[in-house]
Amino acid sequence: MSYTTPRPAPGPHPRPGEHPDTSAPVLRLVGLTRVHGTGATEVNALQGVNLDVFPGELVAVMGPSGSGKSTLLSLAGGLDMPTSGQVIVEGTDITAVNRKVLAAMRRRAIGYVFQDYNLVPALTAVENIALPRELDGVSARKARVEAKAALAEMRLEELADRFPDEMSGGQQQRVAIARALVGDRRLVLADEPTGALDSETGESVLALLRSRCDGGAAGILVTHEPRFAAWADRVVFLRDGTVVDQTVRSGAESLLSNQVADR
Amino acid sequence: MRTWYRSWRVALRIARRDAWRFKGRSFLVLAMIALPILGVSAADLTLRSSQLSPTESLSRQLGAADAQITDHDIGGAAVMQDPTDPYSYTTVKDYGDKPWPTGPGDLAKALPPGARTLTDSTARARLRTTHGLLDTDVRELAAKDPMTRGILRRISGRFPASTHEVAATTHFLKVSGLRVGSELKVRDLDRTYRIVGSYELPNGLDTDQVNALPGALLDPLAKALAAKGLHADPPQTTWLATAPGGFTWNRMQAANAHGFTLTSRAVTLHPPARADVPYFQRDGAGGSGGGSATASSILATIVGLAMLEICLLAGPAFAVGARRSRRQLGLVGANGGDRRHIRAIVVGGGVVIGVASAVAGTVLGLALTFVLRPVLEDAIGKRFGGFDVRPLELLGIALLAVVTGVLAAIIPAITASRQTVLASLTGRRGVRRSSRVLPVLGLVAVVLGGVIALYGSTVSDRSLIVVGGSALAELGFVALTPALVGLFGRGGRWLPLSPRLALRDAVRNRGRTAPAVAAVLAAVAGTVAVSTYTASSDAQDRAEYRPTLPYGAVSVAVGDDGGRDVPAARSAVLRSLPVDLRANVDRLSVGKPGCDEYGDAPGCGRAEIAVPKANQCPLWTYEDTSAPEPQFTAAQRRKLAKDPRCKDEASSDTMTGVVVGGADLLKVMSIHDPAAERALAAGKAVSFDRRNVSTHDGRTTVALRIYADNAKEAADLDKGKTPETSIVTLPATEVRSGTKAYGLQLLIPPSAARHAHLNTVPYGAYYTTSSLPTSAQEQKLNAAVDNIGGNVELHVEKGYASKNDIVLLALGVFAGLVTIGAAGIATGLAQTDAEADLKTLAAVGAPGRVRRTLSGFQCGVVAAMGVVLGSLAGVLPSIGLRLTERRTALADYRQHLAQGMLGDATLPHVPIVVPWGTLAGLLIAVPLGAALLAAAVTRSQRALSRRAAT
Repeated sequence: MSYTTPRPAPGPHPRPGEHPDTSAPVLRLVGLTRVHGTGATEVNALQGVNLDVFPGELVAVMGPSGSGKSTLLSLAGGLDMPTSGQVIVEGTDITAVNRKVLAAMRRRAIGYVFQDYNLVPALTAVENIALPRELDGVSARKARVEAKAALAEMRLEELADRFPDEMSGGQQQRVAIARALVGDRRLVLADEPTGALDSETGESVLALLRSRCDGGAAGILVTHEPRFAAWADRVVFLRDGTVVDQTVRSGAESLLSNQVADR
Repeated sequence: MRTWYRSWRVALRIARRDAWRFKGRSFLVLAMIALPILGVSAADLTLRSSQLSPTESLSRQLGAADAQITDHDIGGAAVMQDPTDPYSYTTVKDYGDKPWPTGPGDLAKALPPGARTLTDSTARARLRTTHGLLDTDVRELAAKDPMTRGILRRISGRFPASTHEVAATTHFLKVSGLRVGSELKVRDLDRTYRIVGSYELPNGLDTDQVNALPGALLDPLAKALAAKGLHADPPQTTWLATAPGGFTWNRMQAANAHGFTLTSRAVTLHPPARADVPYFQRDGAGGSGGGSATASSILATIVGLAMLEICLLAGPAFAVGARRSRRQLGLVGANGGDRRHIRAIVVGGGVVIGVASAVAGTVLGLALTFVLRPVLEDAIGKRFGGFDVRPLELLGIALLAVVTGVLAAIIPAITASRQTVLASLTGRRGVRRSSRVLPVLGLVAVVLGGVIALYGSTVSDRSLIVVGGSALAELGFVALTPALVGLFGRGGRWLPLSPRLALRDAVRNRGRTAPAVAAVLAAVAGTVAVSTYTASSDAQDRAEYRPTLPYGAVSVAVGDDGGRDVPAARSAVLRSLPVDLRANVDRLSVGKPGCDEYGDAPGCGRAEIAVPKANQCPLWTYEDTSAPEPQFTAAQRRKLAKDPRCKDEASSDTMTGVVVGGADLLKVMSIHDPAAERALAAGKAVSFDRRNVSTHDGRTTVALRIYADNAKEAADLDKGKTPETSIVTLPATEVRSGTKAYGLQLLIPPSAARHAHLNTVPYGAYYTTSSLPTSAQEQKLNAAVDNIGGNVELHVEKGYASKNDIVLLALGVFAGLVTIGAAGIATGLAQTDAEADLKTLAAVGAPGRVRRTLSGFQCGVVAAMGVVLGSLAGVLPSIGLRLTERRTALADYRQHLAQGMLGDATLPHVPIVVPWGTLAGLLIAVPLGAALLAAAVTRSQRALSRRAAT
C-alpha cells in the first residue's frame, strides 16, 4: 500500500539557542557520559553529550556504527543509566529516580519506536496503543477510546483490530508511532524506524513522525540515511561518543553531503 | 482511578493470547496439571456419590419397613443397645463369668400393637451351576411384598411367587452360567426350582444370592441333610417390621426388654441424646480421631510433593515461554511496564493455564465419572446413592490447579522481571549469578531434615518423624540444586567438544537447568526411596518365609461334611497339575460320620495329641483351669524361651498336624527315613515332634485325647466343669531328628487307627509335581476347586514370591518418564538459547551432527545430574526408615524375651538392601535413553531462517 503525506513546508521552527523561553525543552541531556566495562575492557560509549529537544522539534542523530547513537537513545529513554550526567524529561531527572518512577515515566512521558518488531504480538493494534495507558491503571474502555482516537488521527482506523502479524511493516511502524505518543506523552525516541522498510514506506513513516512533531511532540530520530535525516529540524552528528557537529535543517543538506564525502 | 487490577487485566490478556499462540507448549503444561486434577475430582465425585445419606442407607437396609429386628438368641433376656447399631448391645443383667442364657425370644411381645412383620432368613447352600457347585447365600424373603422395596432391586423377570420359584442376583447368574428361565438344583435336595427373575443388591453388586419364598428352600434342605446325617448351618434370621407411628426410641427400648435389637428408621434419623442411652452409660465412649490426623498429614505430604513435582516440571516450560517472548516483555518494559507488570504477564501465563487445567480437569472428571458410572459402581461393588456433586470440594480441587500453575510460573516470572529492558530488547544473553540465599537455605534444610530423620531413626521409633525429616531434606536438595549443578561443571575440562559444550551450557544457565534437574531429582529420590525400602522389606520377608511343603509340592484338604468332597478335590488336582507322586490322607473322625473337621454341631467331637506333662512348656500350660496361672520371673521366662519344650513349630497351611496315611506321604514330603517306613508298615504311628511321644518300659507311644462332643465340651467349660475326655494310646516311633516335617505332627497308619477303634474319613492328599505348576495350570486348578464349592484348602508351594515386583517396575518406569520429560524440556530450552552458538559452530566448519550430539548431551547432562542427586537423596531416607524398623524390632524382641513369649530365640533380621538393579537402570539406562532420544529427535541441519516479509 502506498501512503503519502505531503512533505511539510519549512515552517517557523525555532533554532537552537533561539527557542522562546516560554517553551521549556521536553528533553535535556546534560554532560551525559556512559562507560561500558572497566579496565582493559573499558569503552567510552558517550562522553559529555549535551542536547536539548523542544516541543515541536525533531532531532536526527547520525554517525557511524559504534558512535553512540543507540546508547544516547537508550539513556534518553531511561532504558540504560549513564555513568555520569543528567537526563531531564519534562523537568524530571530520570537518572535520580527509582525503577518504579522510571517505568511510570516511560508510561506517561516517553515513547519508543524501534527498527522492527515494535508491537506486542499478542495484542491488536488498538490494544498495543492502549498498552501504556492500561499499564498505568487507566480503565480498559478509556484506554481503548484514546487509542482509537489516536489511530483515527493518523487515519489508521482500519488497523484497529488487527494483530501485528496481520499488518505490513510500515503499518506496524505507524501503529508504533501512535503508541509512542498516546496519552500525555510528548517525547518520541525512534531508533532507525525505517531500517527494515523499503524507501517509499520509510518516507511515509517519517512523514507521520514529522507531522506528530509539528503537532507539538519532541522527537529524536536515530538514522543512517541522510535522506531521512532531512525530515529533521536539526541533525546531530556523533563520533566516538561525542557530538562532532550539529546543524539546523537549512544547512543540513550541505552538511550531510560533506559527511557523506568524508566517509 | 488507577487500580492495580487494571494492569493485571492487560497482563492476563497478553498471557491468554500467548497461551493460544503457542498451543503445543500450553497443551503440554495443561495436560501435566489437568491430569491429576481429573483423577482427584473423579475420585472425589465417586467417593461422595458412593457415600449414602442416612435415608438412602436405610432404604437399602430396611426397604419400606420401619425397622429391622434382630433376635440374638439369648432367651429373651433384656438388653440395651446402641441406637444406631443393633450389633452393639449388652444384657441388662450382668452375668459376670456365667454364660448368657440361650434360646429364641418371643417376637410378639417385642412388637407394638398393629405391627406387621416379614421374615428375612439367609443361609448358605451348595447350588449346582453349569460348571459344578457354588456355595451361595439363599435368602428367604417375600420380595414381592411392598415392604421390601429398595432392598432387592429387580433387574429382569419377577420375584418368586411359588415355592418352586427363585430369583437370583445378576452376579450369581454371571458366575453360575445360569439365566432367567433356567432350572436350579440344590445339592442334597431332590427338588428343582425355576429362576423367574434377576435382581441386585444396591450395596453389594458382587453378591451371589438366590431369593426364595420363606420356607421354600432352607427348611427342605435342612431336612434332607439331616436325613443323610449331615448338618445344615442354621439360618440367620431377622424381621422387617412396620408399625403405625414407626419404631420410636421408646418402642426400641420396649423391644430391647424382650431380647431383640432394632435398626429403626425413626431412631437412626433422630437418635436420642447420648446421655439418654443406657448402653453408652455402661459402655465407654467411642474412639478418638488420632488415626485420621496421621492419615491426613500423610495425604498432605503426598499432595504437597506431587504439587512440587508438577511445579518443577511445568516451571521450565514457563521459563521457555518467558525466554521465547523476551522481546515482547522488553517491549512492555519500554512502554512503561515495570517489574511487577512483567511478573504479572508471566504469572498470568500460569493463571491462564491453571484455570484452563482446572476447568478441563474438573469437567473431564465429572464427565468421565458420569459416563463411567456403571463401571465405577461395579468396581466398588455398590450403586451410587445419587450423583453427588459437591461444588465447594470441586472448587477446592480446581483451585489446586490454579495454585500449581501460579507456583510453577513464579520463579520464571521473577527471573524474567529481573532482566533489564535493554537486555530483553537486544536479546543479549547475560549469565546471571544464581541466588546466594537459596543454597544456604537448602543446606540448612538438608542438615535440619537429616538431623530430624536421624533422630527419628536412632532415638525415636516414629516413622512419621523419619518421613517428615526426609521430605524436608529433599526440599533442601531441590533448593541446593543450582549450587550442586555448579559443582558438576568443574569436571568438564577434559571432555570432548559436544559434552563439554553441553555441560558448560548447563552450568552457565543454571536458571533453566536447575528446575529440570530438581524435577528429576524429586522423582528419582521418591522412586529410589520406595525401591530401597521395598527391596529391604522383601529381603526380610524372604528370610522370614517358612515353606509349608517341599518346593513344588501341592496339598489339598477338605475338612467339611465327613470328607464327601475329597475325591472331587483330589481328582481336580490330578486333572490340572503335572503330578508326579501322590499320597492320599485321611483324618480321624470323632462322632457322627458327616461331621466337619472343627464342627460344633451336636454329636461331633475331635481328637488331639495329648502331650505328656513332662514335655509341656510350663509357659503355655493351661491344662488345669482351676489352678492359678503359673507366675515366672523375667529371667525364668528368658530361660524357658530357649527350652526345647517351648519351641514354636511351624504349622501346616492346609492340614491339621494329625493325619492318617502311609509311607507314600513320607516320600512326597521328601522325608527319607527307612526306620519310620518300617514302623508304619508294622502299624506304628510316626511322630514328627519329639515332645509328643513318651517312653515307658521301652515302649514308645503317642497319646490322643478324644473329645466326644465339642458342643457339650463348650457347655461344660461355660459351666466351669472339666469336660469329659478319653485317652487313646498308639504305639509310635520318632522320626529321625533334624527332619523337616512342614508342620506335620503325627502320621498314623490306617491299620493303627483301626486297631485303636478310631474312625477315619477321607481328608485330602499331598502331591509332588514334575515341574512347578504354571500360572495357567494353577488358574485351572482354582477354577476346578471353585466348582466343588465349599471349603477346599489348597496350597501350592512355590517358595517366596515377592509381591512388590510390579510396584518397583511401575515406579522405575514413572521415574524414567519424568526424567526423560524434564530433561527433554530443559533440552528444548537449551536449544533455543544455543541457536547463536550453533550458528557460530557451523560458521567455523562444525559438521551438522554436532547439533545432534550437543542436543543429546544437553539432555543427558540434565538427566544424569538429576538421577545422581536423586539417588543420593532417595537412598538415605529409606535407610533411616529401615533403621527405625530395626530398632523397633529389636525393642520388641527384647520385650518379648523379657516376658518369655518367644518360642524361636533368634535375633530379628531387618536387612537393608540397596536395589542395585533399579539404581543401575536409573543411573545408566535412563540418562543414556534420554540422550539418545534427544539426539534422535533433533534435526542435524537447520533450515536457513527466512525473514518475515514487511
